[in-house]
Amino acid sequence: MIEVEALTKQYGSFTAVRNLSFSVKSGEVLGLVGPNGAGKTSTLRCLAGIIPATAGKVRIAGHDLSVDPVAAKRALAFFPDEPRLFEYLTVRQHLTFVARIYGVADYEARAAPLLEELELSEKADVLPGELSRGMKQKLVIACGLLHSPSVMFFDEPLTGLDPLGIRRMKDSIVRRAREGAAVVLSSHLLHLLQEVCTNVLILKKGDKVADGTLADVAAQFSNGEANVSLEEVFIRATGGSES
Amino acid sequence: MAGALLYLRLTSLRNLVVHRLGRLRQPKYLLGAAFAVAYFYYFVFRRISAARNVVSLSGQDTRTAGMLAAGAICALLCLIAVLRVAYAWIWPPEKPGLAFSEPEIAFLFPAPITRKALIHYRLLSAQFGILFSAIVITVVFNRSGFLGGHRALHAVGWWIVLSTIDLHLNGTNLTLGRLRETSSHFLLWRVAVVTAIVLYAVAVYLSVAGPVEGYMSGRGARGLDQLSALLNESTAVYWITLPFRIVLGPYLATGYRDFAVAIGPALLVLALHYYWVSGSQTRFEEGSIVIAARRAALKGAAQRGESLKLGRKPKALPGPFPLPPRGLPELAFLWKNLLSLRSSLFSRRALGIVLGVGIWAYFGLKPLMLAHRMSGGNDGLGFLVLIFCGIIAAYTLILGPQIARQDLRNDLPNADLLKTYPMQGWRLALGELLAPTAILTVVLWVAILAAAAAFDSEGNLAWLTSSVRATLVACVALAAPIVCMIQLIVPNTVMVLLPAWYQASRTRGGGVEMFGQRLMFGIVQLLFALLVIVPAAGAAALVFVASTYYVHNVGADAVIATGSALLIFAGEAAVGLWFLGERFERFDLSSESR
Repeated sequence: MIEVEALTKQYGSFTAVRNLSFSVKSGEVLGLVGPNGAGKTSTLRCLAGIIPATAGKVRIAGHDLSVDPVAAKRALAFFPDEPRLFEYLTVRQHLTFVARIYGVADYEARAAPLLEELELSEKADVLPGELSRGMKQKLVIACGLLHSPSVMFFDEPLTGLDPLGIRRMKDSIVRRAREGAAVVLSSHLLHLLQEVCTNVLILKKGDKVADGTLADVAAQFSNGEANVSLEEVFIRATGGSES
Repeated sequence: MAGALLYLRLTSLRNLVVHRLGRLRQPKYLLGAAFAVAYFYYFVFRRISAARNVVSLSGQDTRTAGMLAAGAICALLCLIAVLRVAYAWIWPPEKPGLAFSEPEIAFLFPAPITRKALIHYRLLSAQFGILFSAIVITVVFNRSGFLGGHRALHAVGWWIVLSTIDLHLNGTNLTLGRLRETSSHFLLWRVAVVTAIVLYAVAVYLSVAGPVEGYMSGRGARGLDQLSALLNESTAVYWITLPFRIVLGPYLATGYRDFAVAIGPALLVLALHYYWVSGSQTRFEEGSIVIAARRAALKGAAQRGESLKLGRKPKALPGPFPLPPRGLPELAFLWKNLLSLRSSLFSRRALGIVLGVGIWAYFGLKPLMLAHRMSGGNDGLGFLVLIFCGIIAAYTLILGPQIARQDLRNDLPNADLLKTYPMQGWRLALGELLAPTAILTVVLWVAILAAAAAFDSEGNLAWLTSSVRATLVACVALAAPIVCMIQLIVPNTVMVLLPAWYQASRTRGGGVEMFGQRLMFGIVQLLFALLVIVPAAGAAALVFVASTYYVHNVGADAVIATGSALLIFAGEAAVGLWFLGERFERFDLSSESR
């Protein structure tokens, strides 16, 4: 579903991501972790086609992102950490707009259960200005899920959600992965990743430090200890500092 | 305590100046500053020098004209001041508050400072802005060419006017706030205030109505100078306008002696206002926090490139047209951006502007229309309307793209989201530009139709039959949308190419260099308009001339010429959209801040 080969992203002379390769198959949830400035957001933005990669190849659902970006983007959804919405469009109008962009013919039938699931039904006709941050985040999620993407990128998806919202979000991610979606999830909440992810990729200063299933990565940094937490793995893998 | 507060203000001011000077090391600010300095030199300071020369040549006529101008300014200022003061008394805010910044609130409100000291600090802070404004107004609206007198005296006059108004508005705010909190008869107080204001307005009307009516009907004063003299001699007018005359006295003084006479009473009024405000015991903290939060939100919105709204919540509206889920995705952007436009159109401010323009047009154009009717249409009104329409069209093409921003520029904060949409860049750019194109096109069409209706050439141009005129109007109207779109591509491309410049130029941040940057954008827009229109217009002219040899029909010639111009415009628009889309696909706002 997601294939990344030698991805490199540079900003001038600064290299944010260096020669990164990995793949995420259907049904897998990859946790992207790393200290601040490790290149997680740059990686996600390159994978979602928001910014062009300096070098390397990204394939989304079989489509090369640089060759056929429209087909690749039709298969993906990106959920940013900061909910950005159109201030004059109501919740329902956001969904109408997104449906037209993605050509979702039966969007009304899809929107109703989505709004219900995300507890937005009662807010369907209000503007984003009247929504709490958590509600805005939910609206972004509803818009992203409307076209049933097979590939999903989440950048700090739980920011601003209440405990119940966090629980539902985790369940939703797991359910969509079980239904066949490939998910990449970037978060500093390591306990969340441990609960949700099947795989983990650790970045540090733009380089891949570790990549594999949770068990494989844990084994790599466990030094023979049993039941090492992801938090401990993360600290050992990154040396416990940003530098 | 006053020393500490003064230190804070002066140190902040010094750091601001150092910061502004320091950023001149960046070419964009240096260039902007150079532009602004050149502009001020050529359009402001040279005019002042010219005005100074007039002083030496001024005779009785100039002096009379100067007196009239000063009288008109005085009347206008009085009117504005009365309206502002009346507004403050009639509609006080829910909670009384003073204009502090959020850091000032964070540091000063919990500090061991009395409420009175905070009021002093606020008044002192306002003085920096007032002094600056007084100097700028004196320089820009220099009137020494008419009445003589030293410019410094005028600056002092402006300072007294602005300071008194500032103190009065703060005093009103705090007094009414105090009454709201402590008096059970607040409603009665408000009724009394409104009654007093209405009575004052009636008294003003009664005292000036007679002379003005006589002047309008031709039975009273023959000229404006006579009317002004009549009003000045009226005892009723004198007493009614006395408070304003006292405050305006130093500004209106024509020499040192007049100034010396006027300054005493004016300072007394100022001191009374100061005593009134500084002695207030009103709890202004909560209101101040609300004001500071609102100001910070406005500033933040401007810096993020979002629209500015003051105390106004956007209203949910139905879509401008039904948007089926299948079809051209570009139309979804038109739908979305028209929706945001409708929300802005229904704002109170927009309605106020429309109402104001309507009233002005009615009263301003009524005498012209009457004269036009009586003259049988030979008074040149048609020509005037034509000129007016030409100006509207030129402004729409040059300034319109800076005002109609329902496109990529308004969606800059959503750039990441837009880029995940499964659309090619040029199609996304096209979709985003549709709404402002439609807006500007409608304005242009109205101007074209009005010009066509007003341009009466009967008897002068035999070839300009009504069918030819209709064809010409249709040709120009057909070209309007594509020209508007090309003009809109310019600022959007500037934003994508130079987002840091663009963002800086649209925030309200001050500094002469920012002014210069905005000026440069305007000039770029103007040059680009010429660059786009000249080749197409040239080609159209050539085709028209060539066509007249073969076709011998003005209407058909115009259609052929328009077709050639449209081809060039279409090519320009296609290249522009492709380039804009290409750049937007590669656009990364986050890299700009690195």
